[in-house]
Amino acid sequence: MSTSSFKNKCVTQVYCIYCDSLLCTRGMKAVLLADTDIELFSTDIPPNRTVDFVASCYATESCQCKLRDIACLKCGNVVGYHVVAPCKPCLMSCNNGHFWMFNSDAVSTVNRLDPSGLNLLLWGDLPELDDQEDENLDSQSEEEFIR
Amino acid sequence: MCDKMAAGTENRVLSYSVFKWSSYSSTYLPENILVDKPNDQSSRWSSESNYPPQYLILKLERPAIVQSITFGKYEKTHVCNLKKFKVFGGMSEENMTELLSSGLKNDYNKETFTLKHKIEEQMFPCRFVKIVPLMSWGPSFNFSIWYIELHGIEEPEVVQPCLNWYSKYREQEAIRLCLKHFRQHNYTEAFESLQKKTRVALEHALLTELHDRLVLRGDFQACEELIDKAVRDGLFNQYISQQEYKPRWSQIIPKSNKGDGDDNRPGMRGGHQMVIDVQTETVYLFGGWDGTQDLADFWAYSVTENQWICISRDTEKESGPSARSCHKMCIDSQRRQIYTLGRYLDSSVRNSQSLKSDFYRYDIDTNSWTLLSEDTAADGGPKLVFDHQMCMDSEKHMIYAFGGRILTCNGAADDSRGSEPQFSGLYAYDCAAGTWRLLREDSCNAGPEDIQSRIGHCMLFHSRNRCLYVFGGQRSKTYLNDFFSYDVDGDHVEIISDGTKKDSGMVPMTGFTQRATIDPELSEIHVLSGLSKDKDKREENVRNSFWIYDIVRNSWSCVYKNDQAVKENPTKALQEEEPCPRFAHQLVYDELHKVHYLFGGNPGKSCSPKMRLDDFWSLKLCRPSKEYLLRHCRYLIRKYRFEEKAQTEPLSALKYLQNDLSLTVDHSDPDETKEFQLLPSALFKSRSDFIPLGFSDVDQTYAQRTQLFDTLVNFFPDSMTPPKGNLVDLITL
Repeated sequence: MSTSSFKNKCVTQVYCIYCDSLLCTRGMKAVLLADTDIELFSTDIPPNRTVDFVASCYATESCQCKLRDIACLKCGNVVGYHVVAPCKPCLMSCNNGHFWMFNSDAVSTVNRLDPSGLNLLLWGDLPELDDQEDENLDSQSEEEFIR
Repeated sequence: MCDKMAAGTENRVLSYSVFKWSSYSSTYLPENILVDKPNDQSSRWSSESNYPPQYLILKLERPAIVQSITFGKYEKTHVCNLKKFKVFGGMSEENMTELLSSGLKNDYNKETFTLKHKIEEQMFPCRFVKIVPLMSWGPSFNFSIWYIELHGIEEPEVVQPCLNWYSKYREQEAIRLCLKHFRQHNYTEAFESLQKKTRVALEHALLTELHDRLVLRGDFQACEELIDKAVRDGLFNQYISQQEYKPRWSQIIPKSNKGDGDDNRPGMRGGHQMVIDVQTETVYLFGGWDGTQDLADFWAYSVTENQWICISRDTEKESGPSARSCHKMCIDSQRRQIYTLGRYLDSSVRNSQSLKSDFYRYDIDTNSWTLLSEDTAADGGPKLVFDHQMCMDSEKHMIYAFGGRILTCNGAADDSRGSEPQFSGLYAYDCAAGTWRLLREDSCNAGPEDIQSRIGHCMLFHSRNRCLYVFGGQRSKTYLNDFFSYDVDGDHVEIISDGTKKDSGMVPMTGFTQRATIDPELSEIHVLSGLSKDKDKREENVRNSFWIYDIVRNSWSCVYKNDQAVKENPTKALQEEEPCPRFAHQLVYDELHKVHYLFGGNPGKSCSPKMRLDDFWSLKLCRPSKEYLLRHCRYLIRKYRFEEKAQTEPLSALKYLQNDLSLTVDHSDPDETKEFQLLPSALFKSRSDFIPLGFSDVDQTYAQRTQLFDTLVNFFPDSMTPPKGNLVDLITL
């Protein structure tokens, strides 16, 4: 989470358009870096117990990011994807640092309000998350059981 | 008669209504399966969760012979599609029989399955059909069914006779249960009267004769003769084939050469390699890690001589491979050659030593090593790998190598931020031409021909159906549970099992350093599970478990599980029973003589991390033999005879125990001996201790003899025996 422009964005609740189940309470409206015509909703933390992966990783034509589709756990329909590994160009360009995306045609959204109930809740108001480092691939553990 | 009419009649779509359901979620109502709308994602039934039981019960408009079922799908692949399901059918809800066990492909095509609709060539009707989803393509997702069509015959001219047959069949079974009950309770008149009136046979004439000899006449000698003849006529074969294997481990103490001291057999090690030449019954062992350094000794064990011979103390000195561990070997029994590829290098050594993947061949008859390649990577083959798998295809003179982690040299001093580990793909080596070919790159894609590379997996070559079988393994921190086969001639991958959590308990768990072998004749894969890789779990439930995978039936069965924790000072008895759990060991199989051999490994003792094992075991999987069953039956008959005698003539009974009964006991078997030693207590028990439940109105002797009869009858095929159930069991409180 870097630039100030992201802090002024509205926090949205994201619902599955097929079965109306709540997918995520920390969404942000964004555009795809590789193709800025495409709108979507992104979030920073893995949606908890509302979606799960389907199939395997793939890359698209637009860029070399390694992606994996996610589907709503209730109805099983694909609602978005997770960026398993971003490609260098995307990582280098201005991005909101979110790795979980929802396709705008698969979800319906509602803007959240702040505690007063009068104003829209903005991303700048949300508490910061702890920095999660990528787990170091511990090669030691693999090699413990071979001889 | 039913069949002739069926030939001319059409197989039609059968009308049904959705009768009952376990649950549904949101708008995905059960009734939606009546409508086929592949482009509407909401036109389906979806369960509320994937916790069992989940089901749909369909009720047919009219009783019908249900011959097939068709599943419709969504226009795209969908995680809720049923990967595994069962279909049941019957005339009533309570009484249904399994008609189909299968799964759907995760695509957009309709699929039709034949349902079981005959019992021994006789068609039977159903009124209810129950569909039970067991697994969806996405393990955490709910079950969905989009559209169901049932096909069959509902013409009354065909169905009515089948209904009549079914009704008659049930009546007949009811009569047999009554006959059994009457006979058990000695209602002789009722029994004879019912039998005369209905002319229904309770059992095969041979068993009636057994009953006569045993229960009515108490002629035990004649009983034994009958059983003896039955066994010799092969009547017990069906029972034997249904029995589970029992593992029999035996530690091998080889003959020692005179004056050779400790060097007459291989020392302790892990990460070594073993292959077996079944033609000569010779086990070859090379290299390994002894806890401190790599080894380069090369041994041969002759099963017939029960002796190890050291072929070479240091193969490097004889133009062979340098000391190594975590290499892989395979043997070409036909040409009597052994190949070795790969090895593990500690990260501290890696930067200084070259990472060339050398490839050697040993010729048994000339006792000579040949360097086939200095670096297989340069020849288009795999890079230097460890914990990979290698199989020999003697017929086409090819070698297949798959997986393993590629050893890389990290320039940076800080190893912790190294790049992602690389896993090696599937390669084929043409031995005659000396060339390598990459068959499959490591791929995380879900395409039908894509395979994910890995380490610590099992790979076996089935020489008869010419397929490689691969399962399990690990990729960094992920344990892989999948199981697939690769047809080497057709260059085609077939996924046998995706590997999901739902299978737990029914298939060998990964993360347990498995070793596997294959029996191409029986089409079975044997898997020995070792030590859990999870250190926290290790002390609690250290276990060995042995599994058999029946390739044809696509089913796993667990032969045994050792749940005992390894004690610090195991008693001698325990030690002799079976090898302690371990990893980095080697297991080979002699498919001709049906014996496994196991050597060494790492017992994973955190207090002595350098300790390795040097024990050598053989494993035989045994099923009871005809001779064993015959002896067992004789024992049962004589044991009963003793108990009967004990009531009236204790002295005579004691003598009988010591002589005739004792003859039927295997005194070298601790369990049998123990049981035998407890038998004399019968001499001191009173009559009333013996009354079996459910026979209160019958003469005691008659009741007890009937019990023995019921026991003996179990060894005979079901088609010959009286019904298994009892009338009294139908009574509930």
